[in-house]
Amino acid sequence: MLSAMGMSSMEELFADIPAEVRMTEALPLPPPQSEEEILADARRLLGTNVALGERVSFLGAGLYRNYVPAAVFQLVTRGEFLTAYTPYQPEVSQGMLQAMWEFQTLISELVGLPVANLSLYDGSTAAAEALTCCVRVHNRKATQKDTVYVSELTPPDRLSVMNNYCQGAEINIKFLRHHPDGTLDLDSVAEAAGSCGVYVEQPNPLGILDGGLSQIKSIIGETTALIVAVQPVSLGLVEAPGHFGADIVVGEGQPLGSPITGGGPIYGIFACSKAYLRLMPGRITGRSLDVDGKVAYCLTLSTREQHIRRHRATSNICTNETLIALMGAMHMSLLGPEGLRSLAVRNMTACLLAKQKLSQVEHISLPHSTSHHFNEFVIELPGSSEDCLAHLDALGIIGGFDLSAWYPERKNWLLATFTDQTNEKQIEMLVSHLAAWASSQEVNA
Amino acid sequence: MSNLFEFNGAEGQGYSQPAPVLPESSIVLPDCLARKALPRWPRLSEPEMVRHYTWLSKRNFGIDTGFYPLGSCTMKHNPRVNEVIAQIPGIADIHPHQPEHHIQGLLAIFYEMQYMLEICSGMDQVTLQPVAGAQGEFTAVRCVQEYFRLRGETQRTKVIVPDSAHGTNPASAAMCGFEIVEIPSKADGRINLEALRAVADETTAVMMITNPNTLGLFEPDILEASAIVHGVGGQMYYDGANFNAILGITSPGLMGFDAVHFNLHKTFSQPHGGGGPGSGPIGVKSHLAEFLPGPLVAQRAPVGDESSTAIDNMWYNWYQPKNTIGKVQQWHGNAGAIIRCWAYYRRYGRGLKTMSEHAVLNANYLRHAIHKATKAAGVDSMVCDGAEAVVAKHEFTLSLAPALEMHGISAMDVAKGLLDKGYMAPTVYFPLVVPECMMVEPTETESKETLDEFATHFAEVLQVDAETLHAAPITTPVRRVDEVYAARNLCLRHPYDDE
Repeated sequence: MLSAMGMSSMEELFADIPAEVRMTEALPLPPPQSEEEILADARRLLGTNVALGERVSFLGAGLYRNYVPAAVFQLVTRGEFLTAYTPYQPEVSQGMLQAMWEFQTLISELVGLPVANLSLYDGSTAAAEALTCCVRVHNRKATQKDTVYVSELTPPDRLSVMNNYCQGAEINIKFLRHHPDGTLDLDSVAEAAGSCGVYVEQPNPLGILDGGLSQIKSIIGETTALIVAVQPVSLGLVEAPGHFGADIVVGEGQPLGSPITGGGPIYGIFACSKAYLRLMPGRITGRSLDVDGKVAYCLTLSTREQHIRRHRATSNICTNETLIALMGAMHMSLLGPEGLRSLAVRNMTACLLAKQKLSQVEHISLPHSTSHHFNEFVIELPGSSEDCLAHLDALGIIGGFDLSAWYPERKNWLLATFTDQTNEKQIEMLVSHLAAWASSQEVNA
Repeated sequence: MSNLFEFNGAEGQGYSQPAPVLPESSIVLPDCLARKALPRWPRLSEPEMVRHYTWLSKRNFGIDTGFYPLGSCTMKHNPRVNEVIAQIPGIADIHPHQPEHHIQGLLAIFYEMQYMLEICSGMDQVTLQPVAGAQGEFTAVRCVQEYFRLRGETQRTKVIVPDSAHGTNPASAAMCGFEIVEIPSKADGRINLEALRAVADETTAVMMITNPNTLGLFEPDILEASAIVHGVGGQMYYDGANFNAILGITSPGLMGFDAVHFNLHKTFSQPHGGGGPGSGPIGVKSHLAEFLPGPLVAQRAPVGDESSTAIDNMWYNWYQPKNTIGKVQQWHGNAGAIIRCWAYYRRYGRGLKTMSEHAVLNANYLRHAIHKATKAAGVDSMVCDGAEAVVAKHEFTLSLAPALEMHGISAMDVAKGLLDKGYMAPTVYFPLVVPECMMVEPTETESKETLDEFATHFAEVLQVDAETLHAAPITTPVRRVDEVYAARNLCLRHPYDDE
């Protein structure tokens, strides 16, 4: 190939790179490996990790172990989907474009809002983009300019992403208070009237389903956005936020279609009402026609995006999580409405059974027991969650999440998670080990 | 043919589920919480669902379908063993909140990837957290912003970008709150040092630039550009979209950059899945390391109980940089993508230089072959180089401006003609400095035969008359799609009967 170009060495192809910036030595890296050697090394290294499925796990706190039907993996790894780039040439990208238009419809119906994009990176970036979006839409009429209100329970890692996304636009994040039972204090919501937006979660980070959220919109009015983050599976039983006035719905799409995968790639849901359409982030697929009048799909409303609008774009996002959203669409299409409801029932009853059994255990308490829960709830222990989790770990149980990582003063709060993958035997195992550990703590005290 | 919402069989669910642990009647939600009507999702049996998505896949074009010379996107082959590796439970079934002793193998791979990217880029510390190139840009500019805040240099409010930059550069800097100063490029797309000198001053925070540039040409004046920016106290940012051209040959560190992002889905072959996922780690010089988003992975000798789970007698732990900007994704980045890219890097190891050499060889060979084929076909007057250069790097640009002038054939017409030949079209109309631009990037994983065939077909397309080309494509699942109609008649979801 070099000689065809009249060249005699590879070096000639790099003659334009000045000597001052050349690497002079070989990269200090290991030798190349064959496919078999790489696979063997991957199995050796990853094999030392403790996969959730090897243990009994009650760890959730934002990501939920689920079952992804076999057909999803079989189809999503078809090379035509897997190895495509962003559909810049719609004539040869109809498959993915149509699948994403269908995804938009599935999400739209799920959350009760007319518009959905085809994914953001994760739930936290979707939440952060929702905050900047609501300021773009409402700031002109706001009496509390450049201000949004966020639930004080928001996990610090999620809040940190929000802070990073909001600081450039000089948005002030203020906080909404909660009652001791874990529900939102609606008096504090009244303080948010006149701001650009209110961000809450349903279920909230403590697993609580809060009926009070349905009153927020009547308190804040039309000029302040209501943003609700959801666990999408819960919407098989729980009212869709779009039906109680939410303007933007975001969330971690992962429980629909995706394994946890160490926290990524997963996908962020973003849906909104039409008033936000032209100032929302992310790619959107529209239905159109080709020159023969046949139904055809293409990316649309691109003038919001960075490749057209550059520094005036609504977001810098380019690459998103389309393939993982496709897994979500495939899972949703296999579930159907009744299947979604069954899945939600399995998650919620596992949580309910655990709550019933744990409420009988001496020396531990459930501080929010009067509320309804989805997936998870707080257990107050007679000692630190850190000690309890170490004790359970030695028994082969991943006992849950130590809430002092979010709320440092809550050393004794454990967040235990129950999903469609939790069975009665596992719940009994947790109950008996927690009971034994709790009484040993009391004896030691 | 049908869309998903036209399926509504009596079959109900496409897969069966076990019974719940308690009867559904045990759930009693108050009216303010209970969902009144289920989503109007379709009802498909598994075979219906499988056929629907198989049909859709056949209407989509990936690298597996054919040659994909999409400039700036580095569409190399995605080795299938990487997909097998990503399904190992030790990554697929891992929760980011698991304790360190559960994930030593994962942390070992993260550490190796941090190290490899540091070595290849000439940076001192890498974080793997950003999940896309644009997010990497945003993260790095945020770090620089905090660096200047800590030094009290709050007058640095401007970010300089060349007009040939990727759109994400100005968008990411603007998201951080910076004012964007765009400088014109020279006619060949290369950096205009005089324009840079004219705008660089004590208000400059960062200059963002990619090298090779968006025309696929190496910037010979890069050290001078770095000197100008550093001379006024600013920082140099390297957009790693074109990193595939230079591994083991030069590095952003050697060129004077302070921060860099990597598009792992380009350089290290994470499949792009029709728009994502990607992965966008960043690397920085030591003075910026304390601002990186955490946690990062460190390595040390194991202590006490740690020996039982240590890897090759090494213990890996998370740590937070001292003045971290916090997080840009809630978890640990796209771990599954990082694992695939680790597997890709391992096939080259210290030989990564050969990867870049073959990418550059293929690009230059294809440029040569296209000129040769168009000349042989007598259509060489219709196309010219986007910029004069003896050699390109991993990609090159062509201009169809002569074809437009002579025959009314645009770059878009040629792109659509190439679709009919069974190819993905190159990137068109970017960068804007080249009229009727076509940006071609073959990558290192294509054979000489593929490149020769493409060159021949390219010349054939130029021989087609304008009227026929305006009507192309004709062999694709649909013909030219009316994007204006889509924008004016917004239909963003299935219209149900009652709507």
